[in-house]
Amino acid sequence: MGTGDLAKYPFLGEAGDYLRQSGFDWEELGRPDMKDIIDRAVERIEIGSAGDIYDKLGRYEVEILTFIVSLIMIKSVGLDPLLKKYALAEARRAERFLTDDLRKQSETQKRSLFAKIFDDLFGVKIDLAEEDPRLFKVRVTDYLARSSHFHEQEWKLINRLVNKGYVYLDADETVRLVRNELSVLIYDKVKAMTLPTLPPVITDKANALRTKLGPRYEYRSHTASDYPPCVKHALEVMNKGDNLPHSARLMLATYMLAIGKPVDQIVALFQNAPDFNEKITRYQVEHLAGMKGSMTKYSVPSCEKLRNENLCFATEECAGIINPVQFGRKKSKK
Amino acid sequence: MIEEKVLASSVVLLRSCFREYYFRSTKTVEEPAKIEKREIGYTRFGQSGMVRHLSFGSIRELAAFLIKEVPSDVYCSNACYRFPTYAMQEKQWLGAEMIFDIDGKDLNLPCVPSHSYLLCVSCRASAPVQEGKKPYSCHSCGGQKAEVVSIPCGKCVESSKNEVRKLIAFLTGDLGINQDSIRVYFSGNNGFHIYIDDPAYSLLEPFARSDIVGYLSGMGLMAESIGVRKNNTGNLSIIKFPRGGIAYGWRNRIAQKLRIDAGSVIKLRNIVDQKGGYPSFKVELDRMAKEMGVRIDPQVTTDIHRVFRMPGTLNSKSGLSKVKCTDLDSFDPFLDACLLGDNKVSVKIKTPVKFKLRHKNYNISKETAELPAFAAIYLICKGLAEAY
Repeated sequence: MGTGDLAKYPFLGEAGDYLRQSGFDWEELGRPDMKDIIDRAVERIEIGSAGDIYDKLGRYEVEILTFIVSLIMIKSVGLDPLLKKYALAEARRAERFLTDDLRKQSETQKRSLFAKIFDDLFGVKIDLAEEDPRLFKVRVTDYLARSSHFHEQEWKLINRLVNKGYVYLDADETVRLVRNELSVLIYDKVKAMTLPTLPPVITDKANALRTKLGPRYEYRSHTASDYPPCVKHALEVMNKGDNLPHSARLMLATYMLAIGKPVDQIVALFQNAPDFNEKITRYQVEHLAGMKGSMTKYSVPSCEKLRNENLCFATEECAGIINPVQFGRKKSKK
Repeated sequence: MIEEKVLASSVVLLRSCFREYYFRSTKTVEEPAKIEKREIGYTRFGQSGMVRHLSFGSIRELAAFLIKEVPSDVYCSNACYRFPTYAMQEKQWLGAEMIFDIDGKDLNLPCVPSHSYLLCVSCRASAPVQEGKKPYSCHSCGGQKAEVVSIPCGKCVESSKNEVRKLIAFLTGDLGINQDSIRVYFSGNNGFHIYIDDPAYSLLEPFARSDIVGYLSGMGLMAESIGVRKNNTGNLSIIKFPRGGIAYGWRNRIAQKLRIDAGSVIKLRNIVDQKGGYPSFKVELDRMAKEMGVRIDPQVTTDIHRVFRMPGTLNSKSGLSKVKCTDLDSFDPFLDACLLGDNKVSVKIKTPVKFKLRHKNYNISKETAELPAFAAIYLICKGLAEAY
């Protein structure tokens, strides 16, 4: 892996090794010549949290440090939704570089990317297709473990080029396959961090970021009772003690998880159901939350899916949303 | 179908023949890998409901249990669990073999009515299936409801085998599964169970298994996958082959059927136009894919917590065993899975019946008959006879 790659993919283990080898110390962040790095980190967070991609790419020493400092700041801001959004933005940034590299780089460089990023980080073995240098081969089981969570019909195995246990993908598709995991990886990295005592220059910036970006995420607690009509309807049916179809229960539980309601409270919502069994409901909710079984967090069904299942009770306020979770956000921005 | 309505005398005979089988053939019940991590279940003669969530430390322990308890059917999970005896949500799933079920009755074969019988659900009286669909009325009690039992014929077995061959071709060709990792079993009645021993597949979750089922059964193939795209105005289509080409898998299957290759833009356009445009081509494509796909039961394969009939045990729908088919071509279920004893037994026959077991044709029109135990049990299990 070249140093240029570390600049693009600073989440790789080697980036950490570089920091250790250079004898970097947290105290150094307080030095005046670190101001540029800190400003870059703040900018990177602000752009990422706005849903855009930070597209500057400097020398690897600068990029690695900026990345690490931005993670430290995010950790010290302590807002989980901000972390999620930032992790996704970093994943999308890396996705852009990866797709580009897979298209342009030489065969040897590609192989090294496969080994470092796909195999080391995600345990996916990727190879070049002998038949066509623009195509990549992924084992069917590695493909399915990821693609089966995508909803688009073209990701169904039957719509793929499949031969002898491999699925053939182009550069964009190969990267798309691991995008979600990349964001989870960055999220988990920050979650697992323990912060040392930070120099004031970092804590001050983190406090400023919290003041600036915090209100954006507060709708979650404010509008907790202001549910979209599909969820309201499901709650009404449930409160009357009527039987709610499985698909509606799934929608209700995934929605409540998405807005951050604790499992205990979600389980309590179902207690009026005629067939309520706390143990089973708890297991199911935890399963949907990705805490049990396949460890996959289920997303809220889209408005389109709910319409098809006759679970949509759209009102004017639903205009412009494609998923019930967006209901609160659009509303709170008014 | 052994339920409460079977005569007590039949239950006594069934239990005695099944016990003798388990006593004589302790080694035929196949030990699943990691038996101690499997959930075992069973059903009992003359009683409804399944006893589940059991666990056995070894096959010898299970063999002793079978002789003592004489279940009507014995099941074993395809999954391994950390705690197989706990309630489902607490078992801690560790992986499950991928299993496919090919059932003769799902193939809608034209021969089936000629060897099917109606069984009154109230009094268990039976009669051959009549041609023409008159409303059913039991000749004995006047009951209006009947279930259908079938005595599969050679054609039924051959059709199921063809589906198995088709499935194996998909598994080894498209999915690259090693032939040695595929085990084929006769289900003990009218179908086959195909097991995949590949650790990578054992860890797949239901969504992924469902995607494989879709692939194998030819469901959800997009016209775009083979290069037929819709233009914005609707009916008109654009031909643009996908970047990866159409040399493999389903794309290749359809290309061969339509006799096209990645250069046949004009030919494909003509085919689509002949069919009447994009929507009609899509309908035709769905039909072709379904026909070329394998008819497997989707629910069986996607369920990762299911219990399956245990290899080497008897099926109470037939008295035949679930046995491994080492050579599918030469496998004859009416010989190779017909493993009960042959001591003579007297039975009352409920309806004239024809069948073939162990190379012998039986054509019984009398009301009573003395038959070898394996044949008598076959008819009792089918609901077409009772012990005398």
